[in-house]
Amino acid sequence: MTSTTEILRETAARLLASGAVEMVIGFRQGTIPMMNEPCFVRKPAEAGLLVWDSHCGINLANYVTDRKEKKIGIVAKGCDSRNLVTHILENKIRREQLVVIGVPCRGMADKRKIAMKCPGEILRVHETETAITAEGEGFTRTFEKADVLQHNCSLCTHRNPVIHDELAGEPVEEQQGVDRYADVRAVEAMSPEQRWKYFEDLLAPCIRCYACRNACPLCYCPTCFVDESRPQWVGKGQDPVDVRTFHFLRAYHCAGRCTDCGACERACPVGINMRLFTKKLEKDCLELFGWEAGLSLEVRPALDHYRPNDPNDFIR
Amino acid sequence: MSDWEPKIVAFLCNWCSYGAADLAGVGRMEYPPHIRVIRIPCTGRMSPNFFLAALREGADGVWVSG
Amino acid sequence: MGIEPGRLQFSWISSAESTKFVTVAAQVTEAVRALGPNTRFIKPLAEVA
Repeated sequence: MTSTTEILRETAARLLASGAVEMVIGFRQGTIPMMNEPCFVRKPAEAGLLVWDSHCGINLANYVTDRKEKKIGIVAKGCDSRNLVTHILENKIRREQLVVIGVPCRGMADKRKIAMKCPGEILRVHETETAITAEGEGFTRTFEKADVLQHNCSLCTHRNPVIHDELAGEPVEEQQGVDRYADVRAVEAMSPEQRWKYFEDLLAPCIRCYACRNACPLCYCPTCFVDESRPQWVGKGQDPVDVRTFHFLRAYHCAGRCTDCGACERACPVGINMRLFTKKLEKDCLELFGWEAGLSLEVRPALDHYRPNDPNDFIR
Repeated sequence: MSDWEPKIVAFLCNWCSYGAADLAGVGRMEYPPHIRVIRIPCTGRMSPNFFLAALREGADGVWVSG
Repeated sequence: MGIEPGRLQFSWISSAESTKFVTVAAQVTEAVRALGPNTRFIKPLAEVA
């Protein structure tokens, strides 16, 4: 992992020094452990700030929409690169503006899983290829990385960047035979009443902070439907009906675009797994249209073109 | 709730079903009175927003027709 | 989401098919009548007022 950091710093410094890019978007060490933060490097001398480890979960594709710089370097893992493809298809950024520094990814750690298994506040974290060690006041815990991966990372089948101009490290082996939709099928098997109850419980802790929306690279609308007041689609309070409307519609806006990067779930302060909604739509897109978002710049997305064999059995 | 009757919001495309509804009216055909028609310029105007908004405002069913 | 299948219906009717419009309108009404009143996505009345 350290070597990836070194390659990133070297690459960023080289690109900035040669003028190939005006800035590089990457990660730097956060102020608290396991919380690396996005970082915009504009000078070669600052390239040393960049880091790469198992806590770079934030989706950096979120930061390139409508940027005016002529050339932007961006550090991208598998899911970030897929979201960059989506952005390019949706004309939020031009491919020529980007120099994608791809990072083959082995999955990001879920800080909640680690924190829950530690008896106190974690003050330091270090890691090797396969293990993460957390230290705090009077305790040291070591975890197998595979045991503390974010749920979406443990199911990921696109770990290598789909587009890249530079590659920091050797491509990793993609996971095979992953059952991505076990949780979605469990919900599908429920009756409407059970499902209603299930989502009621799932969304009960939501405080409508919109962290999921803000962390999501797809949510770039200038005015989100929840902020509109004419017409006001959804109430501003914490009424369960409004909470559900918000999550339901947000998920629909992500249909056929979501790459299951897990940014929403990671950003949630109360730990709601709202990925269940977007994953259901992702599953439908795959099953009905054979479409997975962000894999190619050549193919138009499932929901913005028509094919005569599109399923239409639901229409009378 | 024995006297309950359903309220149905129908989103009809200006060029297709709205025309059909118009023709049904001109032809003096009878159809259930539970349907409230909203004309949309094209079924492409339909959005999940509308569906939820209709339910939230008390509709019992939503019918989208192109 | 737990909305009963049948609350939302789609159809495709050309502007000349007034008979089809009438039949589908009746079908939709019957389907929704069979489901009963919608209780989901409605706020309690007191809060709306």
